[in-house]
Amino acid sequence: MLRFKLKYLFTILPLILTQVIFTKSYSQESKEELNIVLVPKFGEKHILKDTWYITETKDSIQVSKIKFYLTGFKIASKQGKRQSINNSNHLIDVFDKSTLNIVLSNVDMSNCNEVLFNIGVEEKRNTSGALSGDLDPSKGMYWSWQSGYINFKVEGKSPSCETRKNKFQFHIGGYQKPFTTTRPVALRVKSIKDNTLTIILDFSKIFKSINLNSTNQVIIPGKEASDLAETLPTLFSVDD
Amino acid sequence: MTKIIKHSVFLASIFFCCGFVIIKNKELLFDYPEYWPKPYYDFSKLSMTEEEFQLGRQLFYDPILSKDNTISCASCHLQATGFTHVDHDLSHGIEGRIGTRNSLSIMNLAWNSSFMWDGGVNHLEVQALAPISSVNEMDSSLEHVVEKLNASKKYNLLFYKVHNDSLITGQKTLLALTQFLVMLNSYNSKYDKYIRKEVGGEFTEQEKNGLNIFRNNCASCHKEPLFNSNDFKNNGLAVDTTLNDYGRMTITKSANDSLKFKVPTLRNIQFTQPYMHDGRFETIQEVITHYTSKITHSTTLAKELENPIVLTHKEKVDLLVFLRTLTDNEFLFNKRFSYPKD
Repeated sequence: MLRFKLKYLFTILPLILTQVIFTKSYSQESKEELNIVLVPKFGEKHILKDTWYITETKDSIQVSKIKFYLTGFKIASKQGKRQSINNSNHLIDVFDKSTLNIVLSNVDMSNCNEVLFNIGVEEKRNTSGALSGDLDPSKGMYWSWQSGYINFKVEGKSPSCETRKNKFQFHIGGYQKPFTTTRPVALRVKSIKDNTLTIILDFSKIFKSINLNSTNQVIIPGKEASDLAETLPTLFSVDD
Repeated sequence: MTKIIKHSVFLASIFFCCGFVIIKNKELLFDYPEYWPKPYYDFSKLSMTEEEFQLGRQLFYDPILSKDNTISCASCHLQATGFTHVDHDLSHGIEGRIGTRNSLSIMNLAWNSSFMWDGGVNHLEVQALAPISSVNEMDSSLEHVVEKLNASKKYNLLFYKVHNDSLITGQKTLLALTQFLVMLNSYNSKYDKYIRKEVGGEFTEQEKNGLNIFRNNCASCHKEPLFNSNDFKNNGLAVDTTLNDYGRMTITKSANDSLKFKVPTLRNIQFTQPYMHDGRFETIQEVITHYTSKITHSTTLAKELENPIVLTHKEKVDLLVFLRTLTDNEFLFNKRFSYPKD
C-alpha cells in the first residue's frame, strides 16, 4: 500500500517542482507598478459635483457628471524606447474616487520620461463587438443606434443654456473619419517618486471654447463632437 | 491482483472525467453550403456550445429584455415569418409605441457586415443594444437588463452552466444572444435544392424563367446565394414626408448617402411582408410595380435603376413565382429556433 502511494508521489513531485520554478521565474520577470493618480480640478479648485463655478467666458455652471475613457497607456524612456501596457482601458468617473487611481503593472520604469495614452477608446475596439471589463457596453458609455463608444461625457447645467432645466450635455464620441474623437496625449515626466505619477485635470478648459448659449447639446458623432475633442488633451498636465 | 484492479480503477476514473469534459464542451458546428462565400463574422473569438445556444434562445424569447417585461425580441421577429414583424408597416414596442421603420428579417446574419436599415450597427454582437435601448421598442438599457438577469435565479443558473460563474455581465448577455442569432440560417429552400440538384428542387419552366428574369434585372443588388448585399442603395422610393427618413446619411453625415438603405435579403420573402424600410408595400406585386414603373429619380439613385426595368405581365408573374422558391420551410418551422418550452 505504501509502495503504491510513493509511486504516485514520485510522478507528481516533478510536476509540482516545475510549477514552482516556473511561477518563480515569472515573478522575477515582473516589473514595477506605476500608480497614476488623477486630480480633477476646475481652475485652481478641486472639482465637486453640483457646485457653482464660473467659467472664463463668465458663465455660471454646475457639473453633475464627468465620465471618460483613458486607454492604451505607453511608457517612453529617454532613449526613445516605448513600452505598451496591455489592456490598459480605464473608465474614469470623476465623482467616483475609486476610479481616479490607475495602476499599471509590469512597467519598466528605468529612464521613464514620457507617459502616453489616449482620451477615448481606440478605433479598433469600436468595431470589435461586445467587450468586457471597463469596455463592457453596459457601462453607459456605448451608443446603441450607431455602434461605438462615448469617449467623453460631461453633463451639467448653466443659466446660459436656454434648454429644459438649463441643462447641457456633451457626449463626445465617434471613430469614423473625418469625425474621430479619440485623442492622444503625451505627458513629459521629470521624475517619478514612490512609483506615483500625479496628473492634474483642469475641466475649466473644456468650457473655454464653448458658447453655452448656442452649443449646449452634442450627443451624436460628427463635426461638433470632433471639434470638442480637440480641446480635451489640454486638460491634462503633470504635477511635478 | 489488487494492484491491477487499483490501477484499472484509477485509469478508468481518469477516462470517465475526461469524457465529462468533452461532453460538456461539445462544440456546435456552424454549417452552411460549401459553395457559399465565407461568413463575414469572425468566429475565432466566439465559443459555440449547445448550452450557449440555448441560453441565447431563452433570452431571445424572454420579455425580461424590455423595460416593463412585455415584449421580447420575438415580438417583432417571429420565426414563421422569417423572424420579422408582419402586418405592421412600422414595428411597435412597449405600450404600443410605434417606431419609424419596418423590422428587418433575421437570417444568415453571419454574412452581414453591418446591421439595421442604415447600417448604424457595425457588429452582430452589439446589434441587440439597438432594440433594447430604443424608446419605441424595449425602452430599457443593457445596464438595467443585466441587473434584472442577475436577480433571476433561472439566469444565474443558465449563465453558470456556460461560464462556471453566475455573475452576468453586459458582454456575456450580448454574446449569448449572438450565439443564438448567428445560428438562424436559411439555405434549404426550393431554390437551394435546385442549385444543389437535390430532390425537391425540380424547377418548373415558369420558375426557371423567373430565375432568369431575376438574374437579369434584380441580382446585381440582391446577389445570390444570399439575395442581399452589404451595400446601401437608394432604390427610388419617394420620401415619406411623415417620416423624413434619409437612411444611411443619418449615420455617415454624407449627402452622397441620402435616401440610401440596406439591400435586404429576399430569402423567405413570401412571408416577410410588408416590404421596404417603412413597410409601404404590402405585397410583392406592389414591389415589382415600383421597380418597373414608379422609380423616383434623384442624385443618389442606384445606377442599377437609372434605366427602367421593363417586364411584361407574364414576366412579372414568372418572377413572382420564382421568388416563392426562396421560401425555406425547414428554417421557418425548425423547432430548434422556436419558443423554448423548458
